[in-house]
Amino acid sequence: MAETAILYDSSKCTACKGCQVACKQWNQLPSPLTSEEYEYTKSFQAPLDLSPNTWLIINFAEVDKEIGIDWNFMRNSCFHCTEAACEMACPVGAITHKDGGAVVIDQEKCIGCRYCVAACPFGVPRWDEAKNKTFKCWQCFDRTSADRKPACVTTCPTGALEFGDRAEMLGIARERVDQLKAAGHTKAEIYGENELGGLHTIVVAQRGLEAHGLIRDPKIGVTDFWQFLKPLGGLGIGATVAGLGLSYLMALGYKRGEYSYDEKTDTLTVKEVE
Amino acid sequence: MRYIQRHSAFARGLHWIHTIACLSLFATGLVLFIPSVAAAVGMATVQGARVVHRVMAVIFIVAPIASIIISPKGFVHLWKSLFFKWDADDKEFMAKFFPYLFFGAKQHMPPQRINKSGQGVADGALIFLSVFISITGVIIWFPELFSTGIVRWSIMLHSGLMILIGVFMCAHIYLGAGIFQPYRGSGKLMYGNGRVSESDALYHWGTWAKEEFQKGDNIIVE
Repeated sequence: MAETAILYDSSKCTACKGCQVACKQWNQLPSPLTSEEYEYTKSFQAPLDLSPNTWLIINFAEVDKEIGIDWNFMRNSCFHCTEAACEMACPVGAITHKDGGAVVIDQEKCIGCRYCVAACPFGVPRWDEAKNKTFKCWQCFDRTSADRKPACVTTCPTGALEFGDRAEMLGIARERVDQLKAAGHTKAEIYGENELGGLHTIVVAQRGLEAHGLIRDPKIGVTDFWQFLKPLGGLGIGATVAGLGLSYLMALGYKRGEYSYDEKTDTLTVKEVE
Repeated sequence: MRYIQRHSAFARGLHWIHTIACLSLFATGLVLFIPSVAAAVGMATVQGARVVHRVMAVIFIVAPIASIIISPKGFVHLWKSLFFKWDADDKEFMAKFFPYLFFGAKQHMPPQRINKSGQGVADGALIFLSVFISITGVIIWFPELFSTGIVRWSIMLHSGLMILIGVFMCAHIYLGAGIFQPYRGSGKLMYGNGRVSESDALYHWGTWAKEEFQKGDNIIVE
């Protein structure tokens, strides 16, 4: 199966939040039901952050201008990295890449250790204390594996979200960036083409990566050591056991002498043992 | 037969507790370290292993701290016996140790004080590594109290320290349990009555054994 990706074009997004609702609806994720459960921050962004029951939100980076404000929207959800730190960190192999590139947590296997929560450079996976499991967007793999688009894409009314062959999505993104630059958005750029081996969520950042809260050149960091640590550890302990085994074999048959001491005359005697 | 009472019942008890905790931590930690092991034992067992890991971690941390509070003199004695200024014999012992491991019959080793210089290095390293693995373990247990960067490093260090401790433990068990032929009988020092025979004491810690026989306080004749 060819690699697939979601394309998010921030220049077409109106932050209607239909994608948020569709995600919750399709994945049966409950929402807080009372206004008290939402913190008032004067922002139109709601909810304020991802959670075990919210796998997708539209972030509002509202920047004041001389007249009015810039609405720098950003789809905040899993980027489905090719080099996925969460997958590297998972100690039980619960996180895997599916055909097409989606990074999916197998809830049957998840033990709630939160290693993936710490490892993700984007802070996407969220731990549910009551269930002792970690949750995140799975790119609606149940839908995509049946040739349907993710729920968020299907519901987007402005065409800001698309889904399909990754190369095709990149082509559309490049074309759109060129259009935006020609229209005066000189900082417009693509996110996800090469980051972390290539993301499976491609972003058209209309006002540049930083304006949309995207991390330029994200790094896996120390989590990358996993690939060396486990083989090195096995090698280290294996070499130690082998060395000690050799020592044991070399000493086979050796009998130590019998030592005695006369403290009155300060004499040490060693009697050889046959 | 003459013996020297080398280890107290308190020290042996603590060593027993730490042995059980350490081996349990290693076994349950391995389940979380190798995904194929987790898959083989099943997720219910993995969750059980996590609970046991935490219970044993508490014992692993609390037991030595409690022992320091109960017997501060014992702690000072341990510290001084492991970390001391090396004399010529200590340096010679360390230089000859690896040839001795493979050619024990031919390699003459210099007399040692209450602990060999190599013991100071290995046991001292185990103590320091244990402190660090405990700190990183607590951070992993309560990640919400620390920054993501600290938690990320702690997860990696915790695993790296487990490997290092594993290497030292292999050598510690090989020598301490008396698997190495010249060390036969050493196991009962910590797991038995804590007594060392005259011959073993003179072979392993010649300088210390002579001092003990001259003082006569800890000598048992049977």
